[in-house]
This record gives sequence, C-alpha cells and structure tokens, in this order.
Amino acid sequence: MTVADPDTPHAEPVVAKQNRLRLSLVWLVPIVALVVGVVLVARSFLQSGPEITIALRSAEGLEAGRTEVRFKEVTVGKVLRIGLSPDRKKVVATVRLDKSAAGLAVEDTRFWVVRPRIGSAGVSGLSTLLSGSYIGVDAGASEETRREFDGLDAPPLVLRGEPGRSFVLDAADLGSLDVGAPVYFRRIRAGRVVGYTLDAATKALAVQIFIESPHEALVSKATRFWHSSGIDVALNAGGLTVNAQSLASVLAGGIAFDYGPGGDAATPAAAGDHFRLYAAEKAALAPDDGEPLRVRMVFDQSLRGLEVGAPIDLLGIELGTVREIAFVTGTKSRSLPLAVTADLYPQRMGRLREDFRQASGNGAQADAKLVARLVEQGLRAQVRNGNLLTGRLYISLDFVPKARRASFDVAAAVPTLPTVAGAFSDMQTQLAETVDRLSKVRFDEIGQNLNQTLQSAGAATSALQLTLQGADATIRQLGPEAQQSLAGLRETLASAQRALDQAGRNLAADDAPLQRQTAQTLAELQRAAQAMRTLADYLQRHPESLLRGKPDDPPVPRLPESKP
Amino acid sequence: MSTGFVAARSRGLLHCGCCGLVLQPAAGAGAPRCPRCDTELHALTPRSVQRTTAFLLTAVALYVPANLLPVMSTNTFLGIESHTLVGGILELWHSGSWELALIVFIASIAVPLLKVAALGLLAWTAHRRSTWRQRDRAALYRLVETVGHWSMLDVFVVVLLVGMVRFGVVANVEAEAGLLAFGGVVVATMLASSAFDPRLIWPEQDDRG
Repeated sequence: MTVADPDTPHAEPVVAKQNRLRLSLVWLVPIVALVVGVVLVARSFLQSGPEITIALRSAEGLEAGRTEVRFKEVTVGKVLRIGLSPDRKKVVATVRLDKSAAGLAVEDTRFWVVRPRIGSAGVSGLSTLLSGSYIGVDAGASEETRREFDGLDAPPLVLRGEPGRSFVLDAADLGSLDVGAPVYFRRIRAGRVVGYTLDAATKALAVQIFIESPHEALVSKATRFWHSSGIDVALNAGGLTVNAQSLASVLAGGIAFDYGPGGDAATPAAAGDHFRLYAAEKAALAPDDGEPLRVRMVFDQSLRGLEVGAPIDLLGIELGTVREIAFVTGTKSRSLPLAVTADLYPQRMGRLREDFRQASGNGAQADAKLVARLVEQGLRAQVRNGNLLTGRLYISLDFVPKARRASFDVAAAVPTLPTVAGAFSDMQTQLAETVDRLSKVRFDEIGQNLNQTLQSAGAATSALQLTLQGADATIRQLGPEAQQSLAGLRETLASAQRALDQAGRNLAADDAPLQRQTAQTLAELQRAAQAMRTLADYLQRHPESLLRGKPDDPPVPRLPESKP
Repeated sequence: MSTGFVAARSRGLLHCGCCGLVLQPAAGAGAPRCPRCDTELHALTPRSVQRTTAFLLTAVALYVPANLLPVMSTNTFLGIESHTLVGGILELWHSGSWELALIVFIASIAVPLLKVAALGLLAWTAHRRSTWRQRDRAALYRLVETVGHWSMLDVFVVVLLVGMVRFGVVANVEAEAGLLAFGGVVVATMLASSAFDPRLIWPEQDDRG
C-alpha cells in the first residue's frame, strides 16, 4: 500500500482494541492531590498546639510572629500577636504552642520574658542580646489546662524539677537580705534566698530559701540558720576577733547555717520545713532555751535605766530577759510600784535543773517549783547598776541572807518573784547607818583628852630645851683640846708626805738603781733570745747535727799559684 | 450549528499529529493508529473535558495547602522564620514596596486562580457544546497557554534562594511543604490546559468531550 496512491487517497489506520472504560484514569490525579493536600494541611494544623495568652507588664523586646517561646532553650511556640488588655494595664501576647508542647498549657505553668539582667544574683540572659528577647517557660505539673496566663516580671528563682529543697525561715528582720542572696554552709555556697513574704495580718516575715542539690541533705532538724551579713567584730578577753563570711555576703547579705547543739542532725528536714532565722551565729548555735517561765517582779523604786530586753542575771548566768515594765494598778500603797514581767529560761540552769527534775518529777510546773525552792532559800530579785557610765540597770537574782520570808506561787499564771530594794537604795540605807553611828561618837571627851595630851606635850618640850642647853655647854668645854689634836695630826701628815716623795724618787728617776738594773736584765734576755733563734734556724736546716754535731766548715779553695 | 466551515473530522478524515498523514478510518472502528508512525489517532483529544476538569480539581485541591502552609523558612541566628505566600505579600506591602507586593500577588495568587477560572470556563462551555463567543474563547485559551510558561516564577525564586543562601549558622533558607503544593498547582494547571482540546470550542454534530 502506497500512501501517495491517488486511488487510495487516504490511508486506513490500524485499528486496535478500544478501551471501553468511559472514565479516564486521569481522575486519579485530583484524588491523589486532594489526599496529599488534605494530609499536608491536616498535619500542619495537628502540629500546632493550643493558643494561649500571656499577660505581661511590657512588650519590650517582643515581636509578633518572631518572638519564640522556649522551654529549656527548646522552641515550643511562637508569639502570634501582641495587643493590649481591655483595661490597657497589661500587654497580652497571644502564643501558639507546638503540638508537642501542648502539655505546657496547664494551671501552674509560669511564663516570663527573658532579657539580659544584672543583679546581685549574677548576670543572666546574655544570649538574648543577640537573639532578642524570648518568653521562658517553667512547665507546671498540674492536670488542669489553662489558656490565659499572667507572665512573671522576672525569671522564677526556682525552676520546677531543679534538684534541691525549699525551706522557710521565720525571721524577725530581713536585714540586708535580698532575693538571690547566698546561703552558706561552712562558707560553701549551698543555696540562695528565693523570696520573702510579710504576712499582712501577723507581720511575720518568712524568708524562702532554696538549698541546691546535693547540699539539701545537710539541712536537718538540728540545723540553725543565722544572718551572716556584714562583719562580726568581738572584743573579749581573748583579744579582737573579726569574723566575716565571703565578701559577697558582706556586700549583699547572706544566710549561713550549721548544726546547733543537740537535735537530730542525721535526718534531713522535709521540704517546706520552717526554721528560725537567728540574728547572729552565737545566738543560733547557743543551746536551746526551752520553754520560758514568765515571772513578775514588783519594785517600789524608779526603774530609770531598765529597758525591755535587759538581762536577768543569776549569779552571773543570764537567766532571762525583761519583757515588760508597767505600773501596778489597784494598789493601796501610797507609792507607785512598778511591775517587771520577765521571761526566765530555767534550762539555762543546766545540771541544777536536771537534778531537781530527777528529784521532784517532770511535772508541768517543775520549773516553777525549782524557782520556788530557790526563793525559799533566799533568792530575791534586785535592780542593779550594770554600767556606771550609761546608767543601764539589770535585774540580779541573788541570795539575800536575811531576807524577809516570801513565797513563790507555783500555781499562778504569772507567779511573782519576791524582790528586795535595789543596790542604789541599799547604799542610801548604809549611808544613813553610818551617819547614825557617827552621831554616837563622844566628840567632847575626845576634845578633853586631846587638850590634856597637848598640855603634857608642852611640858615635855621645855624639858627637852634644858637638855639641849646642857649639850651645848659640854661641846664648848671640849673646844681647845680638839684644836691641839688637829695641829698634831697636820704634822703627822706632812712627814708622811715626805716619806712618799723619797720613795717616788728611788723608783721613778732615770738614774734610780732599780730602773737601771731592770734595763740591763732586759738586754741580756734579748741577746739570749737571738741566740735561741739562730740555733732553731740551724737545727731546722741541719737536724742531723743533733746527732752528728756541726760538720766542719768546707775548706777554703786555694788560688793557683801564679807563675812568674 | 455550522459556521460555514467544514471540519476534517466531520468528513470522516483523521490527521496524524505526529507525521501529518491524512487518513480515512473505517466507520465504527476502535482506536486507530497511524500506519506510518504508529501514533494513536484521534479526531479530538479523547476525554479532553474530563481530563481538563480533573487537572483543574487537582489544582484547586493543591491551592489550599499552597496558601496555608509556609513555602519557605529562613533559619538565621535570630531564629527560624517561616513564610507563607500571603504573609510574604503582606510583609512587602507593609514595608512600603507595594509594587513588588503587586507583582508577587499577580504571579502567585491571581494568575493561578485566573488560569483555573479560564480553563474551567472553557471546559464548561465545551461540555455544553456552547457556541458563545468562540473566537474570544480561543484567544483566552492561547493566553492561558502562553502565561503558563511563566507560572513557576515563585518556585524558581525559592529554589534559587535555597541553593544560594547557605551560610551555615548565619542564614539558611529551606523549602517547605507549601512550595511543593504550589508547584503542584502550576503543573496541574499546565496539564489541564494541555489536556484541553481547543477544537471543542467549535463543536461538530457528533463530538463528544
């Protein structure tokens, strides 16, 4: 068959079997595309987690669509929008969390903006200088989901899951402590102050500290905490002692802890336990005072110089402190007595108390009974002058020998301790007694006696005058004989002088025989020494001459005879 | 409806698209082939409307992820940033370069949409054997074919960026799933326009799309 043949102008095509399928396979393409598209979009939507809002104080450094949310430096979300809260007090950042981080949107999760910060606790967030701020997350442990959060102003000081333990210190005073201040154990940095709260109602100050792992086991029931801020200077019998923790704690304040006496030092304290924060190391490590015994002392004298906090002293042992000074009301007395309320710590009596307790039981009023016993033996309270310069007073408990009988009511809520007049009033009475005694002295008799004595003294004086006159006459009689004796003595001395001159001439003159003979002897000696030296020299050169004698002189060589 | 012209297929003649041979197939035969070059012979592209519609639907299906998902992500030391098509256009618009934003908008969003719309219209009218504005529709078809060559602009840009911006820690650009979808849209529209047989704009008595 030729294509160009005019009889067959059109070629006949080869016929193959026709595909009877009406629908094209091309429809698979949109189906696949649809599936792929749906999968892509669905996955993208499934990957995005919940949308949450975080209320922040300021949007400084945040950028919508760019700022990330990071948990442990892993990006877990992104800020979508930044707007203002309806009341325009806060900035609300809307954040889209990743699907994997959806579990972060729970009740107790905390958010904060990470910016560079410089504080006493150190420098943080330096990396954000380059990368820009981001939102930090501390994952919560709650099960309840939450969508609206309030951002923290500063990073939390303790992240959840950080190894360590938190404790609470009940403090009377914050001192120079601040958040981030170090906590030391024997000058090892063991933790930090993470916050403090002031109870609005009770005004009690609680300092929260966090002891980092592995030091948290050091905190036990026996642990005592104290302010270690500043420098402790003590002047005592041992000299000047200056005690300071690290320079950082001197500057920024700090807390130190150690084991106090007694107590269980082995069992670690549980997280959240309360401890007392002492003002100083000495107070912290002092033995426990135990329960105070509150007593009342009534003084009928001015207590100027006695302050709240003044010590109660028992024979030199500080047994307690003054808590309150007030007037006694409802008294019939014409004077105005003062009542001093004080806390006694009987535990400070040590063995005395233990022995008493062993003897008379461990009852609730054992301490009061002990004091009652001492009162029976004459224990009385007395105001004394502690410092002559400042006029500070303290209360001394002392055994007064002849005290009036007094009792100590063990059953009373605040028993009254009997008192005696203070030292100052004591002195007044002694002075009065002295004056009294003085008045008893018979000064007129003393005067008469004195007069008689003086008269007899006058008579004695005249007798003495007579004696002296007698002595004078005697001396005058002795006069001429003494002059003769003196002239004789002068002659004797002159002849002695002459004898000595003669002796001097015999010895010292150039032609004195002694001197001449001495010079001759010396010259002889000199010659003898020369001869000895010659002999010694010869012997050194010719030691054999000791045995053989001196050899003959060598013969003098003869000159040859000259021929004529 | 006749325009006064005679189409080859209504005279029972076929034309080999490969070697140009004119053939006269026997009536009622199956799928004919060219005796000279063995090319499959069709009076019209078979199932042209069906295939066009299918590809158009593909394009529509891919158009959704292409716009929702990010097309590329820049990974700089300032952080990772993902960019969607619309997001990029808005960014350009807000930063003041509205002319660039317009170009990107036309190339990336308007053109694919208009192509899909135009092909949809062509396929629909062909299916209806419409004789409405046939010359304009033919012009539209030629326009779609021409524009099709330039639709991959975005893909080229991103691929160039991915290839060029590789500065390690400082900056990196990576293509994302959205770009794949966008490329799919462009390819699907091109396939749709090639599947469409423009001869259907002028339907004969027994034409079947």
